[in-house]
Amino acid sequence: MPQQDETEERLRPLMIRGLEGDSGAHRQLLGTLGRYLRGYFARRLGAGAAEVEDLVQETLLAVHLKRDTYDRSLPFTPWAYALARYKLIDHFRRRKRSIQVPLEDAGALFATEGAEEGALRTDLERLLQRLPDRQRSLLEDVKLQGLSVEEAARKRGVTAVSARVMLHRSLKWLSQALRDENG
Amino acid sequence: MRTADLIELLARDVRAIRPGIVNGRLAAALVAGGLVTLAIVALGLRCQPLLLAAQQPWFWMKAAYTGLLTVWGAVIVRRLSVPGSRAGAAPLVAALIILAMIALAAGQMILAAPGGRLALWLGHTWKVCSPLILLLALPIYAGLIAAMRRLAPTRPVLAGAAAGFLSGALAATLYGLHCPEQAAAFVATWYTLGIAAATVLGALTGGRLLRW
Repeated sequence: MPQQDETEERLRPLMIRGLEGDSGAHRQLLGTLGRYLRGYFARRLGAGAAEVEDLVQETLLAVHLKRDTYDRSLPFTPWAYALARYKLIDHFRRRKRSIQVPLEDAGALFATEGAEEGALRTDLERLLQRLPDRQRSLLEDVKLQGLSVEEAARKRGVTAVSARVMLHRSLKWLSQALRDENG
Repeated sequence: MRTADLIELLARDVRAIRPGIVNGRLAAALVAGGLVTLAIVALGLRCQPLLLAAQQPWFWMKAAYTGLLTVWGAVIVRRLSVPGSRAGAAPLVAALIILAMIALAAGQMILAAPGGRLALWLGHTWKVCSPLILLLALPIYAGLIAAMRRLAPTRPVLAGAAAGFLSGALAATLYGLHCPEQAAAFVATWYTLGIAAATVLGALTGGRLLRW
């Protein structure tokens, strides 16, 4: 499957560089994956289904938070496909819809891209309001004002290390909250 | 929040990830749960005289059987804890180990005097053996589940069954420090049943516990 090989060769180095701490590579990986996820979920849920974009966000959060389970010596696309398929099944299960999700080749995820972001039913912004103040303000500095974690840490008078921990925890919390909300 | 903004946010949370985290977490869980179970065996049930037992082939027969199942259980759990890798032939290997044990037991039974077979099979402790192994598996199972929730099993029921199997096999190995039974037929039956019970428990609860 030449097209999939090409995808593999493009994405795996990005994933590995991201794991080594390269945030640019990680950003590029998530951007590309997001488009493929949108295409995959739209095909499985029906184009224009309201939950597509929510599921894309939930899966991107999972890819990010679970990236330490990727083994650098193995191909990347089967890892990403298995994770996306799991999120889709989990989505159906929470909806109490018993729909069989066929177990396909990893290429199924990378067949079509969806560039246009769809509408969201759950706004992460709204979920963030439930975070404790310190965590929320740090996250907003980083997100809205585009500060680096170090800059945000300095502004809020905490150490860079604890700011990193706080940000990571907030994202974990957000991932769980989004899953509960969509359930 | 637009997806593009979310990605921007996630890119801010990038730090280097050291390899080997999956093995580390699973190993830590096994050690922690195993120590709890070992403490229960050593302090609660009491070990048999180990210096004497270690000179007997049957002691090592039991240890080899449950030890091998533990190793293969760990292989299966490792594979099912992350996306994209399958259990493959590992469950088959575990099944072959069990079959070999059953064959050994059958051979011993055939060679035994007909009047002594029932005694070989039931020993003195057949009623408590499987339930105790299931009980001793619980701390290990709890540790494994906690570790696996932080990983990413994509087939929760299978992964739960694998965790149950592994905790049963390790619990049975530690139980061998206490249990003075010597017959292959005893081990093939009651030890295996205890491990099977832990596997079923894992399959029944894994689907619920291993969601993320």
